[in-house]
Amino acid sequence: MKRVFLGVLLAAIGGWALAAEPCLVVGMIIGGTKDDAGYNQSQYEALMALKEKMPCVEILFAENVPEGEAEAVLESMIQQGAKLLFPAGFGYMFPALNVAKRHPDVIFMHPGGYMLADNFGTYFSNVQFAYYLLGVAAGLMTKTNKIGFIGGMPIAFVLGNCNAFHLGARAVNPNVTTYFVVTGAWLDRAKEVAATQALIQQGCDVIGSHLDSPIAVAQTCCEAEVFFVGYPSLAVQKFCPEYWITGLGLTWGDFFVEIAQQVLAGTWQPAHVRRGIEAGFITLGEFGPKVPEEVKKVVLEYKARLISGELQPFAGPIRDQAGNVRIPEGTAWGPLDMGKFDWLAEGIVGSPK
Amino acid sequence: MSWFLSWLSGAILYAAPILYPTLGEVVGQRTGMVNLGLEGLMLLGASISFAVSFLTQNAWVGILAAAGAGLTANFVYAWLVVHRNASQLAAGLALMFFGIGMSALIGKPYVGQMAAYLPKYPLLGPKSLVFRYDILVYFAFALAPLVWFFLFRTSFGLKLRAVGESPAIAYAAGVSPAFMRYFAAAFTGVMAAVGGAHLALGIAGTWSEGMTAGRGFIAIALVIFSRWNPLRAIIGALVFGGAVVLQLQLQAQGIGVSAFLMDMIPYVLTVLVLLVWGRGVRYVAPASLGRVYFGTE
Repeated sequence: MKRVFLGVLLAAIGGWALAAEPCLVVGMIIGGTKDDAGYNQSQYEALMALKEKMPCVEILFAENVPEGEAEAVLESMIQQGAKLLFPAGFGYMFPALNVAKRHPDVIFMHPGGYMLADNFGTYFSNVQFAYYLLGVAAGLMTKTNKIGFIGGMPIAFVLGNCNAFHLGARAVNPNVTTYFVVTGAWLDRAKEVAATQALIQQGCDVIGSHLDSPIAVAQTCCEAEVFFVGYPSLAVQKFCPEYWITGLGLTWGDFFVEIAQQVLAGTWQPAHVRRGIEAGFITLGEFGPKVPEEVKKVVLEYKARLISGELQPFAGPIRDQAGNVRIPEGTAWGPLDMGKFDWLAEGIVGSPK
Repeated sequence: MSWFLSWLSGAILYAAPILYPTLGEVVGQRTGMVNLGLEGLMLLGASISFAVSFLTQNAWVGILAAAGAGLTANFVYAWLVVHRNASQLAAGLALMFFGIGMSALIGKPYVGQMAAYLPKYPLLGPKSLVFRYDILVYFAFALAPLVWFFLFRTSFGLKLRAVGESPAIAYAAGVSPAFMRYFAAAFTGVMAAVGGAHLALGIAGTWSEGMTAGRGFIAIALVIFSRWNPLRAIIGALVFGGAVVLQLQLQAQGIGVSAFLMDMIPYVLTVLVLLVWGRGVRYVAPASLGRVYFGTE
């Protein structure tokens, strides 16, 4: 009797385990918190969307993982059966590569990296191309013909966004001058306020930025009654809805589902996946209440041309501040060239170093 | 001229959140306690003030809550170093890490939220963008001379300083070193937390993890820079605030200055001050600074 009972119990446990057996275990680590109204939140939301669309997937997730501990956390996720890992922070590139070498059967997808391996691919949005649209909006909205851009660090992707912002504005308003300021930190709210004030003092009446999150910029703009554009999250709109023009949010679309399905089907290939607004990797936000209809119309026209591929934001000739041709006529920089910016375009005031 | 005014206006604004912890630490070190936990206290103040301001929709309640939290946390530090004879450096570092972790935990639900902020009172008419400050900015600069008067012109201040020079002699003269250190720790805790709260509710208008960005350490450097004098602390804080604003203004005008170089200014000045005044009798550190007082038999 006892033995029968045990057998039934074991069968029950076995059956339950079989039913709960996930089709794929997916792990993600992020460097910040999952609700930062910015980069980390976008990664987390894409992971949750994956879980929703593929309920058989089991999710492992860890936030606030320092780069020095990334290897240990990734290893423990693999111990728990993870076959697809998203080390979702730029600084995880080398730790994740080390782990990838030890576990050739586990697939790694890293955001923004430049390394590839047999089981290690990368993905990112063509942010710079979409930022051109914010420039178009800024160029149409400015009254003083001076627009400002605040960067956290003077790295290539920030310089690329500033160049796109400026080139977009110049496309619709040739008189625009862009003022570029670096705070020296991705997150120092007080300095971001000071930078915004310095740009406003300089006469700028539209402010763009590439920071961890531009909440402080938005609030300073509201106080000074100056317009701003948002990036990398559309959640910043609520901090100053009145002077919000529009913004860009990282969204990643259905990309995580696509990758999970490829891994399951065994068709995954290592690649640098770079997609833009056309694939939902990045989304243009709604317009603020003070944006005139004509402006909205022009920005949406440019958006349509960007999606169709007719518009090439980084098509030559583009000169740098010293007047040297950096992108020659007849050529254009593509998504994988965005890490090459170490210069600012003609008409931008500020230093790229 | 307008450029200068806007620089000065910014320098004063960014001096305020650093002046609070500096004043607090001046008083603390005058009793012989080095507190390396300022950064943690500031973060605690920032996160609690923001959370409470969000929940009550009243910035003042937020500031009060931050002050209370700073006082409580620093009392634990004082208890460790006064009654448990712990190393001040170890206790301070523990306090710092506690503050960093605790503030992240407290602030987590409020990342990306909007709280009630401190109202601004412009000095030069409602339309002017320069010299628009919340009340805590005015209060910071009013407080410095008050602290100076208290330390150098009252008998209580004299007793407090005596503890920092020699707790044993102060004890012999009828002053309780433990009481003075608890008193100073309470003041340091409140000041550091209010500095953090000002950053969250007066300047940035948001909470994010680690948002004090090392200002707690700059404050410690400024205490040395100011040679334990609350009035010179004003100069130190203004130099810091001025460097931040100047660097950004120069950039906006196309004059390339490295942000990283400008960030070094407070520390470079501190080293210079130590070089120049290092051995001057008038400028020397409190004699018992950093030492554990084991009591007098």
